[in-house]
Amino acid sequence: MPQATRDIRRRIKSVTSTRKITKAMELVAAAKMRKAVANVLATRAYSDLTWETVLRLVGIVGPEKHPFFKEKKKVKKVLVVMISTNRGLCGSFNFNLVQKVVASISLHHPENRETDIISFGARGRDEARGQGLNIVADFIKTDITQSAAEINPMAHLVTKEFLGGDYDKVFLAYTDFMSALRQVPHVKQLLPIVPQIDTRLGHISHEKNKAEIDLSQIPFITFEPSISELLDSFLPRLVEVQIFQAVLESEASEHSARMLAMKNASEAALEMVSDLTLAYNQARQSAITAEIAEIAAGSGTLSG
Amino acid sequence: MAQFNLKIVTPDKVLFSEPVAQVSVSTALGQITILPNHLPLVSQLKPGEIIIKHEGHQESLMAISGGFIEILPDQVIILADSAERAEEIDERQAAEAHRRAEEMRQTKVKDAREFAFFTAQMEKEMARLRVARKHKLKGVRSSIRPEGE
Repeated sequence: MPQATRDIRRRIKSVTSTRKITKAMELVAAAKMRKAVANVLATRAYSDLTWETVLRLVGIVGPEKHPFFKEKKKVKKVLVVMISTNRGLCGSFNFNLVQKVVASISLHHPENRETDIISFGARGRDEARGQGLNIVADFIKTDITQSAAEINPMAHLVTKEFLGGDYDKVFLAYTDFMSALRQVPHVKQLLPIVPQIDTRLGHISHEKNKAEIDLSQIPFITFEPSISELLDSFLPRLVEVQIFQAVLESEASEHSARMLAMKNASEAALEMVSDLTLAYNQARQSAITAEIAEIAAGSGTLSG
Repeated sequence: MAQFNLKIVTPDKVLFSEPVAQVSVSTALGQITILPNHLPLVSQLKPGEIIIKHEGHQESLMAISGGFIEILPDQVIILADSAERAEEIDERQAAEAHRRAEEMRQTKVKDAREFAFFTAQMEKEMARLRVARKHKLKGVRSSIRPEGE
């Protein structure tokens, strides 16, 4: 068979095997996404209960008493914790996140304010470097965050530098998981703590939010050792659990973005295979026609 | 026998949620045992064990690495830490993260894409090297050979 058909056949083969790979990646991403979503939901009990207690405590002493709540009058230095991914092949996921960060920097912190970045995830870090953002610390991300303990060093650093007065505000940049088809990059204030439950973080959007917690229910509670000591140890955990939730939610978003990207790739491959098959059949048919014509012409000269 | 609801949660998951008859924990101020209708209390927990008594006197034990206990009229909640708090380790990893960022600033790779390109090229070379080694190991004379061998 002539060269043309052989080339087309080779291409069909290669596109088909590419499709097999993207299809497999799609399925893997779907499974990982389901797991990540379950993880997000699993942290909810802890974060809700922690919030509830913290709100109860600050309801008694007043939020202005504690450095975690203190709003600075002049905001000079800002820290952004940027949660991205380690791997690519997830569409414009990391690009969108970094764009969002850049946009919110230029929106909220014009010229004279400084913004530093803590990066978590290699792709976002490289993208941020490309954009010329100032990265002050880079934490290594595992592909699936197993336990809240993994983000403790980051929470520790953030808390320490905020309390030390190095930064006036700390933000958390992550990707909000709205649904399997929609993920939105989001920048949220982490410190100083806004004494109000965030209904976005850790909640899958279509769920109904819980009713407001009634703080006046319990008339008399004993606090050991004291309210301020309790707050001292409660608040760092609140910061931790918020970062943890943002990490998990970003992971859920990452996997669903990858699933979508791979689905598109598989579909494109399938389309390509069908186009190539058509071209192959046409080439084969015309080769056969040419051969028959030759034979007919040959036998014509012999008998004639 | 009177019972109350006990809930033990960590940042990772809900560990335990069942009605129990009594529970003993060690708080910052000492060990306490909670029976139904305990006074409302919020207290910090030390690393240690939780002893749970179910109805019918079975006991179960659980170890926690610190956290909080919250006793409300209708339920008892234990917010347990996911792991022992290790400030030194956190501190060290934070310093490490700072150092990596500093290193990154020192290196003269202007563009992340450039960096990705070089990484890809390096990986390709490494793959070639691996193939070459494999062939050598099998005793097959290979035409692919890394330079300088």
